[in-house]
Amino acid sequence: MLLESVKHGDTVLEARGITKRFPGVLANDQIDFEIKAGEIHAILGENGAGKTTLMNILFGLYQPDEGELYLYGKKVNFRSPLDAIHQGIGMVHQNRKLIPAHTVIENIILGHPKAGTILNLKRAGKEITELCDKYGFKIDLKAKVWQLSEGEKQVVEILKALYRGAKILILDEPTSALAPPETKRLLESIRIMTRDELAIVPFITHKLPIVLEVSERVTVLRRGKVSARLATKAATEKSLAREMVGRDVVFRTEHVEVERGNPILQVENLSALNDKGVPALKSVSFSVQEGEVFGIAGVSGNGQQVLAEVLAGLRKPQRGRVLLDGIEITHTSSLERWLKGTGYIPSERVDVGSIAAFSLVENIIMNYHFDNRFSKGGIVDYKGLRKLTEGMISEYEVAAPGPDTTARSLSGGNLQKLILARVLSRKPRLLIANLPTQGLDVGATEFVQKKIMEVKKEKAGVLLISEDLDEVLSLSDRVAPMYEGEFMGIIPGGEARREMVGAMMAGLKPKVEAI
Amino acid sequence: MKIGSYEVKLEKRVTLRGWEAATISILAVLFALLVFSYIFIRAGVDPLTGYKAIFSYAFTSSFGLPLTINRFVFLLLCTYAFIIPMRAGLWNIGMAGQLYTGALSAFAVAYAFGAKTSQTAVLSAGIVIPLMIGASILGGAAVGAIAGFLRGRFNTNEIVVTMMLNFITYWVVARLIKEGGLFMGASGEGDGFKLPESIYAPLIKGVPFTIFIALGLAVLLYFLFAKTKIGYQIKAYGLSPAAAKYAGISPFKIPLLVFIMGGLIAGLAGYHYFAAVPGLYRITKNYGEFGDLAFYGIICGLISQGEPLAAIPIALLFGGLTNGGRFAQGKLKLGFGIDYALLGVLMITLVAFQFFYRYKIVWVKTKKESSDVGIHG
Repeated sequence: MLLESVKHGDTVLEARGITKRFPGVLANDQIDFEIKAGEIHAILGENGAGKTTLMNILFGLYQPDEGELYLYGKKVNFRSPLDAIHQGIGMVHQNRKLIPAHTVIENIILGHPKAGTILNLKRAGKEITELCDKYGFKIDLKAKVWQLSEGEKQVVEILKALYRGAKILILDEPTSALAPPETKRLLESIRIMTRDELAIVPFITHKLPIVLEVSERVTVLRRGKVSARLATKAATEKSLAREMVGRDVVFRTEHVEVERGNPILQVENLSALNDKGVPALKSVSFSVQEGEVFGIAGVSGNGQQVLAEVLAGLRKPQRGRVLLDGIEITHTSSLERWLKGTGYIPSERVDVGSIAAFSLVENIIMNYHFDNRFSKGGIVDYKGLRKLTEGMISEYEVAAPGPDTTARSLSGGNLQKLILARVLSRKPRLLIANLPTQGLDVGATEFVQKKIMEVKKEKAGVLLISEDLDEVLSLSDRVAPMYEGEFMGIIPGGEARREMVGAMMAGLKPKVEAI
Repeated sequence: MKIGSYEVKLEKRVTLRGWEAATISILAVLFALLVFSYIFIRAGVDPLTGYKAIFSYAFTSSFGLPLTINRFVFLLLCTYAFIIPMRAGLWNIGMAGQLYTGALSAFAVAYAFGAKTSQTAVLSAGIVIPLMIGASILGGAAVGAIAGFLRGRFNTNEIVVTMMLNFITYWVVARLIKEGGLFMGASGEGDGFKLPESIYAPLIKGVPFTIFIALGLAVLLYFLFAKTKIGYQIKAYGLSPAAAKYAGISPFKIPLLVFIMGGLIAGLAGYHYFAAVPGLYRITKNYGEFGDLAFYGIICGLISQGEPLAAIPIALLFGGLTNGGRFAQGKLKLGFGIDYALLGVLMITLVAFQFFYRYKIVWVKTKKESSDVGIHG
């Protein structure tokens, strides 16, 4: 078979002049690139630069309008993902496509042609264990998927593709939900895989350090076109960002010192359950002061979401108290909290923070329908709100044709800008920002972080929840690493070291007290 | 697909304007009539004769038109009873139960004023009629509120609850109007008692005044969804309960409210058919058929996509066809059920044509093959 004779450095997949149009958008415009055996090739680009479209074309989900794909020098035409899988292309989606109630092994063999009608789990188990040993993956094949961490789920997806015989592995934002140690382990495994002449294509948006660390070559996309094609050795974080955004980007948002005032938010021994009825927040106490960014660092699923929801009035706590400006709000509704000056930016910007089928104006009304300035006698002042929306669109540079387009048509970054504009326009006393820059490209991330700093300057309090250690460390005045529903400590921003906070996020309690 | 030098492609619509949706629906109706012509031909009837019989009876004959209008008002009210919860993402399958209760409540008022005792009793219409309407509204709303409360408070499936309430109220009506029941009619043939002439609902050119309530509701509901705060909250909840909750919209209040509003309008439909339509003025023993008819409200609501104004022509069409279809079946001696077949074909086509709400057909002049152009390489 052809595959056996592939040598390191041979071109395995080549795209020539790929063009794909959608109504009103040129998503991919004459894209050329090639992937070589044994190489990690990163594709970089902002949201909406055309990465996802390109990936879907490589995986057979879309057919290109123009251009050709060549696999081992032979022209191919993938009519469906199944076609692509048969020809050795594996894809690991950012949003995991696994069945939570099934075991790891059941998920891996799902849909595999060898699985047949009667499952031979024993044989499959042996083969998968061999794969694990080879690439250094550690995973319990009998565990149910819902018990796994995000990093382990990622491993399952990768194993699934490998077990199907993938020779080209496409990873969509592979490290976005992983804790630093998990990321390290994954990158090691990826490196081992390349020794087997597997070609690996990670799509990475904003984690530039990872691109530099792991890849050999980079293709940068901007507005559907290839803007740069270079060897990673020749690139720097700054040069890549410039190619991606088209201008210079500030990497660390300047930390501003603001005199801290009275406590705005006080949380005392707060406990709550998650949706499964399991204790997810365990007696957490802290306060956020005027002019302070209080950062919570942690890998998703360690109780941050539950904490944010309790503070926003969306989830009932079991025990404990929440005070806003000294007044107890533990049992008030989310509406009352908006009115009292809590502003919440949810992590689920598509499902909770916005309504896809609504126009941008109607999305802005989500935070204004209760505002008497914009409704008289139960009639909503659509005209005034339309003007307000137009103002927000221009002030926050939301790329949208106008206030009447649906939120569905906005890219992730622009949607987040719109939500940010809406929440900040209420001039909140307390801003709860839950993963505010997750999945955003460098340009949008910079913008969001700058705005959060402005809130702080206006002497409001900010509770920042983030998985991005660098973000938490650069923005926060105090940092609380969170693990399994508890704070591992509260560290003044100046004293927080990356390694220490990273270890605490993974569950280590420092022995600081024992000085 | 290629036709000559043109290529026919399906393209996703980005927006859908009102007139485009209207054109698509009209084309769907014409297409359904075209398809149904085949059934007429198979039955040995010239399709034109068939349709003429249906439409002339339903919309121009002095016998058929009033019947069509009465059905239209009834269907429109049932459609609104369905649409309001639908806009909140909830399914009201209980229009039948709500309208039975509305009718019972209205007749309870009449009973309390002694209407059962005599056909010639002179009651003050100015007092009794508004009270009857008020009671029908309250009755329907109360039944609706049960489903709304359970949904809002305990997240109970509203489809099951409203469906079950249909059965319960059906038998309550039976208990009250059949032999020995409180509202039993004088003839003892299974109908409820007849209202005295003095409290017949006023007619305007032979049409019950309830038509103005129904049309007024159309405007009111349009306004509710387009302009008001509560309309916005209902729509937001319907599109995304999680996002609505985040925005401070009560996940308890909205389900309760939409089911009260829906039940209220269905209750009014009960008043309309049993207390305002000429010739009836009683809860007839075949009241269950009107409960079944109420289900067309679901069809009309779905076809109009929850738009109160769009529901008017659709309810009129269905009101006319249920009426004219039955007439034509008798007149042309067609087989049993042919009127239902027509309605069925129409419903399927209308739903199938909603495909074009999301896609449009475009003609593109095909470019010359690239091989003709390529010189190099």
